[in-house]
Amino acid sequence: MSVGFQAVQWNRRKLVYDAILLAGVVLFIGAFMTIGALRKPPADMPAWINLRIKAFGACAFTMLTIILMIGPLARLDRRFLPLLYNRRHFGVLTFLVALVHAYSVVDWFATQGVMGDLVSEMTGSPNYGKFIGFPIKALGLTGLSILFLLAATSHDFWLAFLTPRAWKALHMALYLAYGVLVMHVALGVMQEDRRAFIPLLLGGSFALVTLLHLAAAWRERETAQDGEWLAVGPPEQIPDQCARIVAAPNGERIAVFRDGRQIGALTNVCAHQNGPIGEGRIINGCVTCPWHSYEYRLTDGCAPPPFTEKLATYRVRLRDGIVEVDPNALPPGTPAAIMLAANGE
Amino acid sequence: MTRGHRTVHRMLWPALALIVGFGFTMALILRPPPEPPAATEPRR
Repeated sequence: MSVGFQAVQWNRRKLVYDAILLAGVVLFIGAFMTIGALRKPPADMPAWINLRIKAFGACAFTMLTIILMIGPLARLDRRFLPLLYNRRHFGVLTFLVALVHAYSVVDWFATQGVMGDLVSEMTGSPNYGKFIGFPIKALGLTGLSILFLLAATSHDFWLAFLTPRAWKALHMALYLAYGVLVMHVALGVMQEDRRAFIPLLLGGSFALVTLLHLAAAWRERETAQDGEWLAVGPPEQIPDQCARIVAAPNGERIAVFRDGRQIGALTNVCAHQNGPIGEGRIINGCVTCPWHSYEYRLTDGCAPPPFTEKLATYRVRLRDGIVEVDPNALPPGTPAAIMLAANGE
Repeated sequence: MTRGHRTVHRMLWPALALIVGFGFTMALILRPPPEPPAATEPRR
């Protein structure tokens, strides 16, 4: 809860995340170019550029697929949560890799002295009415434009300026970008290169993203169908100083925290910028949001003085050794946490 | 993610997945068949 402004708040975890990300990109592109050059040595400069186009395009599409897998994976298994913490840097790097892919396409035309007029090509192409033959550059540019918009507004400044509600709605356009780019590949390289592995990889990636989203939604649906009180599980299954997130039948997510023998439930939406409270930890006795470290007391959902933010709380109880939570929210700041007996009852 | 966003997400994602899935399937069906391997000259 610092009042100072920093352009980017770096910490060790973010640095490690970004280092792994960069190493992955370098390895992917290096391996792709090396294997491609060994398999079919490029004869001239345009052939080299063509290989670069494919390497950066494949890398950007793979990164986009992974980004869309992180959300449902983190909902299915907490071990994937660290991937979520710095997903915005992942997104910005994806845009930069896609930008090099687009630049390489321009470079390919420029090297051969056949630069056309992009505007007239985009607006006057007679192939817009066709399915096979649809101008794939238009699809690629649409996807790239959306990625640019999302990368440019990824900073916290834009989150605060646009308001979290509008920012999140805008960033859901990533799904649209993914759909457009799947078709960019399906109508582009998949039609030119007739080997079987291209549709297998493209269809497999798309199917994997879809299935993970379905699995995460199905799991939450099962939770939401329980009775009036939602079963969270035995106290020891809630990691100490962490939370388990359950979904109420109305779709609201509830973060049920355990701090030693104390159990409390808060809304999963931080009062600051709608960050996922349940993915944070209890630090120095306060539930701490993973996005900007806003702190709340577990007992009543209030930020410690002098701060005034309050979160909605939920009643919890222990029944037959199972922690249960009432899905009806209490007014923000209402004390509702319980203390388990020393024998866990 | 608020409840409103989640509702939009749950409507948007399946609709988009169906459209893209249909587009991908059509692109696969209409894809030209693989080129036959080049005929080798019979040995004499």
